[in-house]
Amino acid sequence: MSKSNSDFSVVGKRIPKLDAAQKAMGRAEYIQDIKLPGMLYGRILYSKYAHANIVKIDTSKAVALSGVHAVLTGEDVPEKMKMGFIKDNPPIKKGKVCSFRDEVAAVAAISPEIAKKALDLIEIEYEEQIGIFDPEKAMEKDSPLVHGHLKSNVLKMPWDIHYGDVEKAEKESAFVVEDRFTTQWVTHCCLGTSGAIALFDANDNLTIHTNTQIPSLAQKDFLESLKAMGLENKRVRVIKPIIGGGFGSKLDTYAYEHIAILLAHKCRKPVKIAFDRVEEFKATSTRQPTIIYIKQGCDKNGKLTFRDMRMVLDNGAHTSWGATTPSVMLMPISSLYRVENVKYVAKCVYTNNTYSQAMRGYGNPQATFAIESSMDMLAEKAGIDRIEIRRINRNQSGDETPQGLKITTCGLEECIDAVEKELKFDGKNEKGVGTGIASLIHVGGGARIYGSDGCGAILKMDDYGKVDVFTGGTDMGQGLDNIIAQIVAEELGLLAEDINVVHSDTDICPWDVGAHASRSTFVAGNAALGAAKKVKQKIQKFASKLFDVPAEKIEFKDKLVFVPGDQEKSMPLGKLLRKAHFSPGGTMLMAEYFYDPDNQNMGKELKGNMSMTYSFGAHGAKVKVDEETGKVEVLEYVAAHDVGRAINPLLLEGQVYGGVVMGLGYALTEEVTVKDGEIMNANFRDYKLFTAKDAVKIKAPIIETDDKDGPFGAKGIGEPGCVPTAPAIANAIYDAVGVRIKDLPITPEKVLVALKKKND
Amino acid sequence: MKAFKYLSPKTVEEAIAFHGQHSETSKFIGGGTDVIVKLKEGWMEPDFLISLKKIEEMSELHKNEATQELSIGAMVTHATLEKSLMIQNDYPIIYDAVSNIGSLQVRNVGTIGGNLINAVPSADGAIPLIALDGVALLHGPDGERSCDVKDIFVAPYKTILKPGEILKKIAIPPQASNTGSAYIKFGRRAAMELPLIGIGVLLTLDETKEICIKARICLGVAAPVPMRAFGAEKLLVGKKINEEILIEAGKIAADESKVRDSVRGKAWHRKEMIRVHVRRIGLKCLEIIKNNS
Repeated sequence: MSKSNSDFSVVGKRIPKLDAAQKAMGRAEYIQDIKLPGMLYGRILYSKYAHANIVKIDTSKAVALSGVHAVLTGEDVPEKMKMGFIKDNPPIKKGKVCSFRDEVAAVAAISPEIAKKALDLIEIEYEEQIGIFDPEKAMEKDSPLVHGHLKSNVLKMPWDIHYGDVEKAEKESAFVVEDRFTTQWVTHCCLGTSGAIALFDANDNLTIHTNTQIPSLAQKDFLESLKAMGLENKRVRVIKPIIGGGFGSKLDTYAYEHIAILLAHKCRKPVKIAFDRVEEFKATSTRQPTIIYIKQGCDKNGKLTFRDMRMVLDNGAHTSWGATTPSVMLMPISSLYRVENVKYVAKCVYTNNTYSQAMRGYGNPQATFAIESSMDMLAEKAGIDRIEIRRINRNQSGDETPQGLKITTCGLEECIDAVEKELKFDGKNEKGVGTGIASLIHVGGGARIYGSDGCGAILKMDDYGKVDVFTGGTDMGQGLDNIIAQIVAEELGLLAEDINVVHSDTDICPWDVGAHASRSTFVAGNAALGAAKKVKQKIQKFASKLFDVPAEKIEFKDKLVFVPGDQEKSMPLGKLLRKAHFSPGGTMLMAEYFYDPDNQNMGKELKGNMSMTYSFGAHGAKVKVDEETGKVEVLEYVAAHDVGRAINPLLLEGQVYGGVVMGLGYALTEEVTVKDGEIMNANFRDYKLFTAKDAVKIKAPIIETDDKDGPFGAKGIGEPGCVPTAPAIANAIYDAVGVRIKDLPITPEKVLVALKKKND
Repeated sequence: MKAFKYLSPKTVEEAIAFHGQHSETSKFIGGGTDVIVKLKEGWMEPDFLISLKKIEEMSELHKNEATQELSIGAMVTHATLEKSLMIQNDYPIIYDAVSNIGSLQVRNVGTIGGNLINAVPSADGAIPLIALDGVALLHGPDGERSCDVKDIFVAPYKTILKPGEILKKIAIPPQASNTGSAYIKFGRRAAMELPLIGIGVLLTLDETKEICIKARICLGVAAPVPMRAFGAEKLLVGKKINEEILIEAGKIAADESKVRDSVRGKAWHRKEMIRVHVRRIGLKCLEIIKNNS
């Protein structure tokens, strides 16, 4: 029988973030705050062109500048030192640049000012080449090539998928809609800018302090770099300081990290590279922009018959995780609502633009924008209510989708109900006001992207009833430390503050594949829970001798170890632990646990149950459109999610609020403006991130479905908040004024143009 | 950022004298919301920064009860103006403009004088002062002089101020009765925003409250410097003011503007926003007049 929240003493409680005070007081140490003895400051010089040959580089003046310790160009980078999963990106480019963010030189100096000055002294002669900035044009046969040694600008990627029979289903459909949608470049806007400090010991072992979401996988990348540098069999220690936001931006290693390593090795001193805001905008990656063609149909009763989608992804000049976002886009395409016949083709195309990365939702917001906009169009064409068509096609517990996703628990219907309860969908709003709804599916029980989806945990009890948990998971501000503390405290009858969570130091913490795919609560949570259960058994075993009762009779609550109903047999946990440690032949109470979920890699057929469970949600928006200015005001917003169980509703709501605001920016204001490959708005003045004053009131109903595999029933909820936001807004705008905007962001200009077109 | 010496004169004369000693290598600083950015970016590298903060008379905000003239020291912060009940009640157009500049933090230190002297086409603070026929009092090595606020601006980032000259205060002449004024910053965000277009309107009606006897339609970001839409103003004066004529004034003002396409916004949309908001803000002025009587 499923448990209710009243069965728990720590899980389900609104416990404020354990690190909130130190962050609020400015005591948290970010990479910017860390200074090591003898540390030098590195800085990177970027290309002046989107596409050019480097004819000549003269670094002599920079080298001669007092205070400069090293100057590197592409010539100094070992041939095999390359980044990205297809290794097409050396940290400093040699002979040719393919985008404005291409690194052409780097320096290390005794101060940031001198480093900056040194960059100004580097003279580079370029020979400009024709740039390619439109991915659809770059796909044409006679298009110039971004990388001359390749035959085509189109990457070799496996995204050509067909489940069922789309052609047949289309013929048999009663209603079919078809359209083209486009989404823009947006960027993570982490308030803490990127940075790393690299240093080598006397034996050429590397320690790198770096802003990363993937300590263990970054360790592998850095080891490969060392190997390329001729440093074999060395150790790499990755330490992640407190970071001010990840959102997927730190799922790959970046040039600045590898350059810091090269400079540190050359100078034999610690070298720090820390980005300023402009550099953060220009030299870190964006969300993957897309051109989406969608066609879907339903029968006369509104039941979906097929979904056929084709996408063109602007890969930029180099390849990072942006190119693999179709693997996650496939999830909503194949499995958001019941649809048997699905086709999906995606092409990633090299251009001379910036390259993309993972970003919260990992392709899901792009795909869901097209799907959920199209759902409303289909409902209208079929004459079916927009809520009704979603109910008809909703996913349900026990479903297996064409992709092979096994839906264990599904609260989508409850989420739709919750949205409908809060907002009016009867079309009877005042003029210019409308409502919109959009749903989501996302991985909620890990995601097997790599060979493993595992995470380790080590748990150590001290003498006083306190616990240290060494987790492979990464807290990047999302509050994983709290979640782990609450899970372990619940299991051991302690308070959250009794649990100290140690993370993100590869010398100390166990292995993990990283903080991505909304997996940390589920996977790192289950790993910590597994370790807690193991240590609990050890304590029970010890106590059973002490109390002379069978181990299973011993319970843990309020910091006590006791036998229910027997007041004599009760002892504070701390006292018991001291007895364990100090007794002759004593025992140390520690446990380790590795949790690797039983989910599947998608094989060659691109099928498989990639997650143990799936999170669902429905978002509803009420907007007011100013028909004279085109401005959209969000009046109300409801974001209902099936979260399995809220380990900490306060943090969960925070995730939802943050996700929604990020999604609203995606829908309405945010865009990296790019002109011929150059970013034109590399600052917060012109990049329109929502401010606190722009944020709207958000209601976040929590639907608990108590998932059988989640820690205490929980599913992941890190990303969903920003997934269906844009289509909810777009659908509300259509409801309000009858224009459908298919190109994000929905700016006042676009709304006004559409209104004029409609009224002409 | 290059190192500099920070000087804090207590009088305008002292500040001008400091500048005279290091004229080539010194810069005045008010609230610093623009200067500090320029220093950090290396766009400005003075050896001496002369702060105007300690000059008391420059931070004074007061209305002369006898003459009804309003005097705003150049060092008065946006927050001071925003919080002043006198400004809120008697000069709503100033309140509208300054209460939406930057963020609370920016308004706490940023000054009205700095907003003018920085001379960006998007200066929110300039529009109401022009609409109110403000007069700028300048003080420099050659003594004092004054000019209309609208004539301060020469080009983006360029004013008529000579080296060593300080904008000391802005004088706003008494307002006629039956006057209403308002401003709107049209942008994409609610805070930390530059206007895509800024529109300020001031209307004075005769004692019948029907005929317009004075009109000011001032636009920001509509040209390289803040501008008045003289044609639109001319249309209104002497006429009965209603929605129809305000629509016409909006069209004329939009035509008079010299808006441009930029990364931030398209010219056609800016024009459209002038057209729409001259009417909307004009109607708001009429409502203010109605409510004040």
